[in-house]
Amino acid sequence: MKIHRTCDGIQRRDMLKAGTLTLGGLTLGNYMRMTHAGQVQAGRADRAIFIELPGGPSHLDTFDLKPDAASEYRGTFNPIATNVPGIQISEHLPKLAAVADKFAILRGVSHTLAAHRLGREYVNTGSKPIPALEYPSFGSVLAKEQPSENDIPNLVAIPKAGQGPGFLGIRYAALETNATPDFGSPFSVRGISLGGGIGVDEVKRRQSLLRKLDRRFAELEKSDQLLEGLDKFGEQAYSMITSARAREAFDISREPQSFAKQFGEDSFGQSCMLALRLVESGVRLVSVQLGGWDTHADNFTKLKDNNLPKLDAGLSGLLTGLEQRGLLETTAIFVTGEFGRTPKINSRSAEGGRDHYPRCMFMLMAGGAVRGGQVIGESDDTASGPRHEGISPDDVAASFYYNLGIDPTMEYDTSTGRPITLVRDGSIIKELFS
Amino acid sequence: MILLRQKCLSAGMLTIVCGCLLVFDVNSEQVFAEPANTKSNASATSLAGKPSKPLSHRYATDKTDEVPDFQKHIVPLLGRLGCNGRACHGSFQGRGGFQLSLFGYDFTADHAALLDEASGRVDTDDVSESLILAKPIDADLHEGGKRFEEGSWQHHVLKRWIESGAAYDTKSMRHLKRLEVRPAEILFTKDDESVNLTAIAHWQDGSSEIVTELCRFSSNDDAVAQIDETGQMQSGDQGDTHVVVYYDNAVVPVPVVRPMGSPLGASAAEPRHAVDRLVKQKLDKLGIIASGGCTDSEFIRRVSLDITGILPGGNEVREFLADESPIKRQRLIDRLLDSPGYAAWWATRFSDWTGNSDEQLTNVLPMRNAATRLWYEWLRVRLQDNMPYDDIVEGIVMASNRQPDEDYLEYCKSMTAACKPGGEGLFAERDGLPLYWGRRNFVKPEERAIGFAYTFLGVRIECAQCHKHPFDKWSKNDFESFAELFTPIRFSANLVSNDAKQDRQELLDALTNGEKLRGGDLRRAVQKGAQEGKTVPFGELIFDNSRLQRLLKAQKQARQKGRKPPAVNIPVGKILGEDQTIPLDRDPREALMAWLRADENPYFAKAIVNRVWSNYFGDGIVNPTDDMNLANPPVNAPLMDYLAAEFIEHGFDLKWLHRTIVTSETYQRSANTNETNSMDRTNFSHHVPRRLPAEVVYDAVILATGSDKHAQKLRSELDEMAIAEGKPNRRNQQNFALEVFGQSNRESNCDCDRSNAPSLLQSIYLRNDADMHKRLADKNGWVAQACSELGVAGPRSSVDPREAIMVKRADSYRKQFMVRIGQYRKLPAERQKRLKPQIEKEYSRMVARMKSSGLHVPALALLIKDANAWPELAAPASTDTAIKTVQQLVEEAYLRTLSRYPEPVETEISVTYIRESESPADGMQSLLWALVNTKEFILTH
Repeated sequence: MKIHRTCDGIQRRDMLKAGTLTLGGLTLGNYMRMTHAGQVQAGRADRAIFIELPGGPSHLDTFDLKPDAASEYRGTFNPIATNVPGIQISEHLPKLAAVADKFAILRGVSHTLAAHRLGREYVNTGSKPIPALEYPSFGSVLAKEQPSENDIPNLVAIPKAGQGPGFLGIRYAALETNATPDFGSPFSVRGISLGGGIGVDEVKRRQSLLRKLDRRFAELEKSDQLLEGLDKFGEQAYSMITSARAREAFDISREPQSFAKQFGEDSFGQSCMLALRLVESGVRLVSVQLGGWDTHADNFTKLKDNNLPKLDAGLSGLLTGLEQRGLLETTAIFVTGEFGRTPKINSRSAEGGRDHYPRCMFMLMAGGAVRGGQVIGESDDTASGPRHEGISPDDVAASFYYNLGIDPTMEYDTSTGRPITLVRDGSIIKELFS
Repeated sequence: MILLRQKCLSAGMLTIVCGCLLVFDVNSEQVFAEPANTKSNASATSLAGKPSKPLSHRYATDKTDEVPDFQKHIVPLLGRLGCNGRACHGSFQGRGGFQLSLFGYDFTADHAALLDEASGRVDTDDVSESLILAKPIDADLHEGGKRFEEGSWQHHVLKRWIESGAAYDTKSMRHLKRLEVRPAEILFTKDDESVNLTAIAHWQDGSSEIVTELCRFSSNDDAVAQIDETGQMQSGDQGDTHVVVYYDNAVVPVPVVRPMGSPLGASAAEPRHAVDRLVKQKLDKLGIIASGGCTDSEFIRRVSLDITGILPGGNEVREFLADESPIKRQRLIDRLLDSPGYAAWWATRFSDWTGNSDEQLTNVLPMRNAATRLWYEWLRVRLQDNMPYDDIVEGIVMASNRQPDEDYLEYCKSMTAACKPGGEGLFAERDGLPLYWGRRNFVKPEERAIGFAYTFLGVRIECAQCHKHPFDKWSKNDFESFAELFTPIRFSANLVSNDAKQDRQELLDALTNGEKLRGGDLRRAVQKGAQEGKTVPFGELIFDNSRLQRLLKAQKQARQKGRKPPAVNIPVGKILGEDQTIPLDRDPREALMAWLRADENPYFAKAIVNRVWSNYFGDGIVNPTDDMNLANPPVNAPLMDYLAAEFIEHGFDLKWLHRTIVTSETYQRSANTNETNSMDRTNFSHHVPRRLPAEVVYDAVILATGSDKHAQKLRSELDEMAIAEGKPNRRNQQNFALEVFGQSNRESNCDCDRSNAPSLLQSIYLRNDADMHKRLADKNGWVAQACSELGVAGPRSSVDPREAIMVKRADSYRKQFMVRIGQYRKLPAERQKRLKPQIEKEYSRMVARMKSSGLHVPALALLIKDANAWPELAAPASTDTAIKTVQQLVEEAYLRTLSRYPEPVETEISVTYIRESESPADGMQSLLWALVNTKEFILTH
């Protein structure tokens, strides 16, 4: 498995400790109030796929081209028409251009965190990182609010999670596959198939013994997220091992080749197909990563030869595949990097590169109640900032939650009574759903 | 659980609606008691007396002659107004054609940007046209909105500065000696208390000034204390945190405490152990009563796993629990610190911190996979010998690849031998660890600055690579001067010093038969030569100032020839935080090392003390453990100071440090909590269960499931164990279990490369991985041993497949024979008698056949009498008689997994379970499986 490293060398593994907080109950949301007020229609999606592009993809060379800008900004890529009149994207994304009616492009999304780690935390949670506690990933919130059945994981990360469960506690962490599927080969997460010549009955007997003996920490369990999480994982591991559902969902070789091919034969494309199979079988949120976007040098060659063809095939395959299976209406899709890249091309290599640039970036949304085939927001002439009021990551996160029927202004209480708003500062982008 | 709602506000909002209770008001009491002195510059630089009044006072009107100072006033004011933030002009591409340095402190660049004519920010000819005056007062004109009112003191300050010529003297950088914050510590006792902070800048020249309104403020936990942009604080939940005040390059944390209960009186006895005393002082402030001591079985498990990473064996536990000596804990600690496990496990931890990564060491040595082994062994031997920490570090920092008086060929010979498997000891005998300098992610000066600070200082300085560090005093300049120190140090596989070039070429020629090979071909030829026992060439670590030498030579020659000598600037660097420059005409590492080990070094001792502490408590005294910065102060500063100072005082004696920590009551506390400390997770008031590190879990599973003999072998030889780097993290072939449990890849200069967080996949691994099934059923496993001790057949899959086939065949003979006996039994006595000889003949044939397979056949008479006398031959029945009971084995299972005796109810559940199982082997396997899967097994307690 290839791990992409960003320029500051950070592959974050540990979540920050959530201060002295432990998880308490959940207050009643005001979701109904908002829908009653007729502000927006209710979301339709009940599952999600989150595609993260760590490293920070260049907006100018993908979904926000500026063909009329000076060459030091414009770069070498040309725009092409899409199947939606008036919308143009990069010439290196022809397959996505052919399905542009299925997704919405957000341009002029803007924030201020130019470090990979902080930027990722921001776009992965919809709340600006603060030192005292870490906000949960979208999937962790979904896992808590709308858990799937026990024999299927709530939340799967292919291959690793970009964001942890934050203050919700590790019991809402993702199942990480640690590997990506290969085209045409069977795929499994190690350990989920029953082995060792042991039958289901024997496993059940063992589990009942374990429950009886695992009592030492019973007193502390209520107040300790670590113990609570270990318990939860143990129960879920048991359910998954004793059921065929998860293992069949992971096995991409069950898909016909013709279907598999439309995703592209690289590991990102096949991960997208795996994501589709998983949400189809009831996983609440699957996150997929495509790295390699930290193009400080050789921006154009890297994008043209590597990243864009993969994104093009994988994402277009996913949108088409979901539609073919009748899942697009119930699956919310969100594609984002942690920031855009500097409009002005630098001179770090012969052809130039682009550096971190949070003030202007793109994001994509699709599925559920999202109306595809539209561009929301706009950047200025050189894509250096939003032309009008920018869209914030908070707004997009609020909209993503909304699309999933989760009230973004919902509050979680800590055990000390401290209320924490799920998305602190975001407002739902109504145009997405109109 | 009942949740108390204290405020109707959303978290993160800073609005404070509640009435303010002024507890401390430093302003009125201490500062403004003086009658106001209205005119003059005198107030601007009050020397060695009362601090001068704040700008808002001095510039309340525009009738002042005082000239604001660019560094002291203008830049901080722009910072306070938000101008140099990331969202505004602090962005890397500026905004509105105007860019300031992010978080300030690049005064030259900021001054140039302000005065740049194109930006129009400052216009000394037409002052009011200056955009820094016009923009911030006009919300329409300014994208950033209105920042202050026309005629406000802020307006006056900026205006006055421009009127006076908008000067900044680049040569007169002012040094802020200290930023004093009053009150220095805050104690909240109830809701809705508020406090105003006052900040006073003390400059090197003796002047001082109230600068509160030029500071930025933040809270490290706004649940405990909120602070707004003016420095007004508001009390929150019970607990403790810091608020942080920023001005110039100062970052000052101010402790805030709101006790859990009433602060404790002096009734409790004063602890004798210094660590306990210092921890208690903090707990007393918080009104927390610490938990009592842990039990002996908790202690032996905890201390063994923490000091050596090795799960104690059942017998060790039994003996320790039976020992009645009052000093048995002390003795156990001594024994563990002297055991090979200590050095093995801590060499793994030191490998993490020093960055011993196979991936990054690719091709540093001519032999593959050797570098990481050598590195590990070099550390292990030193830890075993308890070499002082500063001496170990000296071997790394000052590393030379050759021993004193060693020539290049001798060096290569010695290294060729060291790189062979088993030759690690030869390398460990060498003084230095040059490999540290040879890693692929440690080549560029800036990478080295970051990596060096990470490893030896526990400080993350990478932010300062591009701008003023937001949480510490480091400026971009500090970073660059520090990085400069590393430029002349070079180390690579193909680099040798001048005197060795010829020798190297000769060695190469001998390996390639004089052929000119490059790249991969050359590497393969060298590898092959090494395998054949030939001496191969190694790279060298050199101090390379050849460029400077050439320039100096040219200068000298010019002088000799009477020409005008060209100017030669000797490059210089600076040690982080030091003023003195270090000329790079000689190896700067000596100065660097002297600074590291100096008593007054603010980081070196603390970094290691903190990392060692965190191993024993899960959390450091500073967290994250590699992020010591001014805005992230220790949770218990006196404790940190004590341990660091005493560690130095004890000659950097690592075992002293370990012993001091683990002999404290603080370390030996129970995980059970009381009303006052159940919410505390940061002040060491009770044991906080934590998941065992990856290597420790990996080994613990193998030890717990392996037979006594196998486990004994592992414990005594260590080399197969993960804690002793027995399962090294090779490129692309990391052990699955170690990866899932978060082994460090040692690549990112971050202690977070190691993860101790649990996951679903870990639970799946322990419950159902093929590794686990195999271990439980293994021939060398404990279940097989236990079955033999019980005198019953072992686990099914532990049987040799050939043996299984044999047994199966034998069983079919048995069945046939028993059918025959059955028919015989049914015959009338008459016929039985007649056929007896034939049946006896068949019987003896059967006995012979079974004997050859080692199987026993019951007597013929018995077989005829009882159809069930010869049971099914499922697996080879043990020929041993039972030497242990099921009950005893349950006890064994508990001792070898959880390091304690089972409770009576646990024994009963287990024994019943085994009795009801299909076979004792099945039952034992399930019991061991269940014990290894308890939370108790994978956590410290």
